[in-house]
Amino acid sequence: MTITLQTLLKKDWFGLLIVVILSGILITLFKPAFLSSFNLYVLMVSTSYMLIIALAQMIIISIGQMNLSVGAIGGLVAISFSGVMEVYHLSVPLAIFIGLAIGVICGFLNGFITVKSGISAFIITLATLYIFKGINLGITEAEPFYEIPSAVKNFGNAKIGGTPIPYLIIIPIIITVLMWVLMNRTETGRHMLAYGNSVQSAELLGISSSKVVITAHVISGTLAAVAGMLVVCRLQLGTPNIGDSWLLPSFAAPVIGGAILAGGKVDVIATSLGVLIVAIISQALVIFKIDPFFVQIFLGLMILLAVFINRYREYKQEASRKVFTHD
Amino acid sequence: MKLLFSLIVSCTISISTTAFAGSSGTKVALVPGGPHPYFAAWEKAGKDAVKDFGLGKADYKVPAEWDLSQQNELIESLVGKGYNAVLVFPGDAVGTNKILGELDDAGIPTAALAGCVEQPTKAKMCFGTDTGHSAYLGTKQLIKAMGGKGKIAHFTGFLVDPNTTLRINAVEKAVAEAGGGVEIIQVIADIDAYEPADEKINAFMAAQGGEVDGIVTTAWVPAVVASQALTNMGDKRIKMVGIDHDEVVLKAIKEGYVHGTMLQNPYGQGYIGSYVMDKIRGGCVFKANAPWKSTAQTDQFIDSGTVFVDITDVDTYVDAMRGISLDILKTFDGTYLDC
Repeated sequence: MTITLQTLLKKDWFGLLIVVILSGILITLFKPAFLSSFNLYVLMVSTSYMLIIALAQMIIISIGQMNLSVGAIGGLVAISFSGVMEVYHLSVPLAIFIGLAIGVICGFLNGFITVKSGISAFIITLATLYIFKGINLGITEAEPFYEIPSAVKNFGNAKIGGTPIPYLIIIPIIITVLMWVLMNRTETGRHMLAYGNSVQSAELLGISSSKVVITAHVISGTLAAVAGMLVVCRLQLGTPNIGDSWLLPSFAAPVIGGAILAGGKVDVIATSLGVLIVAIISQALVIFKIDPFFVQIFLGLMILLAVFINRYREYKQEASRKVFTHD
Repeated sequence: MKLLFSLIVSCTISISTTAFAGSSGTKVALVPGGPHPYFAAWEKAGKDAVKDFGLGKADYKVPAEWDLSQQNELIESLVGKGYNAVLVFPGDAVGTNKILGELDDAGIPTAALAGCVEQPTKAKMCFGTDTGHSAYLGTKQLIKAMGGKGKIAHFTGFLVDPNTTLRINAVEKAVAEAGGGVEIIQVIADIDAYEPADEKINAFMAAQGGEVDGIVTTAWVPAVVASQALTNMGDKRIKMVGIDHDEVVLKAIKEGYVHGTMLQNPYGQGYIGSYVMDKIRGGCVFKANAPWKSTAQTDQFIDSGTVFVDITDVDTYVDAMRGISLDILKTFDGTYLDC
């Protein structure tokens, strides 16, 4: 297949890639330190766990639902992961296994209750958000776990050789590739998108709604668990506040990446670039010394812009569907 | 470490306060603005107040999130369960007054703890760290450590926290008094959550770490993350004065990466605050001529104490806070109350 500029322009991610490159050049012109080794390291670190958080939300958006409990799952896993190592002196691999298991269980509960109750995932995950956060606070009483093994701390803060590339970004890159394969090359991914596009049509095609919804939530829970553990590696402590600030960015990156909130359309590469754009903007606000009282305005404007773009995309897609129906 | 801190302080104060013990039906709810390690000492403080002063209850109840409406709902539910006195870290300096007024109408005394509400208010007092003064003293210590000149950055917490503006103004005041040799090159706020703090503080260090000479942090999370950043970088050139007693900050002081920290007194706030609520419910009132301090938000403020700790006294800081709490408690009735 020949890749032409014409085909590239049709890709959701291409425009975002241009934005990333242009913003990088623009910031570097004013602040050359932006391309310093340390800054690139910081950028990759902050991108690493946000990438997984965004993918955890993206997969739920793909089926036309929302997961408000992404941060609560990540926080619960974070304190469990660090807590079992500090209190019970479990080995790192066992602690990782427990963390992943908690993520899977939380995701399964979200999916199972949504399917069996027939209530919107928005409401179910709003409820489980409080449950998971409540368990978190019940366990920790708002006190962090500090005794993190050196291997975990080193993984979260070391660089690969003499490069600015953090070890922390290895897992997110692997997960991004796996998610791309899942959404673009597997039947499960196609079923999710079909379900998100039209529940009725998907069921007529013989796609199991229960299986699709539960699978998506289990993957989302697992990814939130991985993100929670990566944050522990980075912060070198397991604090109950982990995950509290994830909700807005978890939606921002997929939406900037062209995801349609009604479901049926997500793009892994574009979502990844959405994460990068949010990270670059956050860094730029610091680098350009924006007054702290106005930072939220800039972030809010960016989200608003992304939502308008998304609404326009939905409108265009809706219009093309109507044309197809009339034909 | 915090548990140890609370235990040592509480044991000593308990031994010294058995004379205060009585019996009452006072049931105090200690409600922070949201989950935060700073407030963890309130739980032990409440339990000790029950034991030492004969209160019916003094329970620490945490809202699931930093959200005013959630905090209000929690307080309402606690009152429904029989709590008859409320100590609250205001979720909003103005917005919290509404529920405090409703509680006062219902005959339930309240006080703002660790942060104040704006007047006019029905809160009986604001008992907390004089955050502005603490930030001012911390910045003074930083400027001294920098040799009286250089560029500093200020990392602070939630913009909705009533204390944040006071801290920003106090740091500016200390810098202004330095006579032009010191300049604030950046204020980064709203980083009282770990992930954004990690991102923004490290972005700052990457972009401006070479030109900054000092860092003052006036909120818990930024202090922890900035201490970790300096430790990870192995940078002892940049002087830093933090706040509070998180293990990460204390360890960085011992290792020489952080110059010192401004300690607050959360245990004393919860312990003495619960005692005062019981006294108010027992019929005591604040004296007309009580020696209140004034802040930008209230003129009914009582300072719960603050102290600077550096490498020379980081191992014995508990003694300093214990002394402050005992001093306040011993003289509280005579100074502030008519019973």
